[in-house]
Amino acid sequence: MTQPPGGGAGDGGEERDEEALVEQVAGAYRPRAREELRYHPAWHDLDEPARVRAYEIGRAMRKLESALDAEGMSTTARAVLARIEGR
Amino acid sequence: MDLDAHLPAILTGDTRAFGRWMAGAEGTMRDGLRSFASVLDVESVLQEALLRVWQVAPRFVADGRPNGLLRLGIRIARNLAVSELRRTKSRPVSEEDLERALAMAEQVDLGERGPDPMLREVLAKCHEQLPEKPRQVVSIRLAAEGGRSDDELASLVGMRVNTFLQNFTRARRMLAECLKKHGIVIDGGLES
Repeated sequence: MTQPPGGGAGDGGEERDEEALVEQVAGAYRPRAREELRYHPAWHDLDEPARVRAYEIGRAMRKLESALDAEGMSTTARAVLARIEGR
Repeated sequence: MDLDAHLPAILTGDTRAFGRWMAGAEGTMRDGLRSFASVLDVESVLQEALLRVWQVAPRFVADGRPNGLLRLGIRIARNLAVSELRRTKSRPVSEEDLERALAMAEQVDLGERGPDPMLREVLAKCHEQLPEKPRQVVSIRLAAEGGRSDDELASLVGMRVNTFLQNFTRARRMLAECLKKHGIVIDGGLES
């Protein structure tokens, strides 16, 4: 189950502009859940063009992260590995 | 390199081997979900799909064609996305990206698409040259490996979260500019 819309950008209660929301959604962090998809809370606050922009930024950033990582893994791959290894 | 070369180690439960497989497979799986980007949180779907590939890998039977586990991963991701569309009653999307990703997975040398040494070297220099705060936020996000929210990370470095994210945007654009000066253009939204 995804998080309901309108929950704000995060847990801090701080007002965030669209640029900040897009930057958050473009990151690899996602709340953990046992058996359900958990969207980034900020994703619900974005309109469709901003969601696509977050996707494109994320795609580009994962390439850079892979290039900076000794084993060629992006933060997406690292996040999944941490879940598999129970960290 | 056929990414299925990692299969024997993956089947023994070698998580690092699966990490190497993900390093080669992630980009193609993500590209296969592009058309869902306006209606689903693709990052979330992709992470769940990668997790499911790990879970089903012990039962995977190769069909003799290259990158079989990747082709399975692309289909798992697509099915998960379609299931999400139904659940959230979102509008359907084109499947062109899926076909493109599957065609890409047929290329035997897919596993060699990893970061080229020149990109690695130039990027490391560009990262070093960033001003202190932008460099700090990039470094801490990398170190967190997708496991901590920006709110947590901002708090760790003593910044308000908006400031943290503004620094990240600044860093991203500066990295794009620096790479461009060295003749490297990363397609997609790096400069966005």
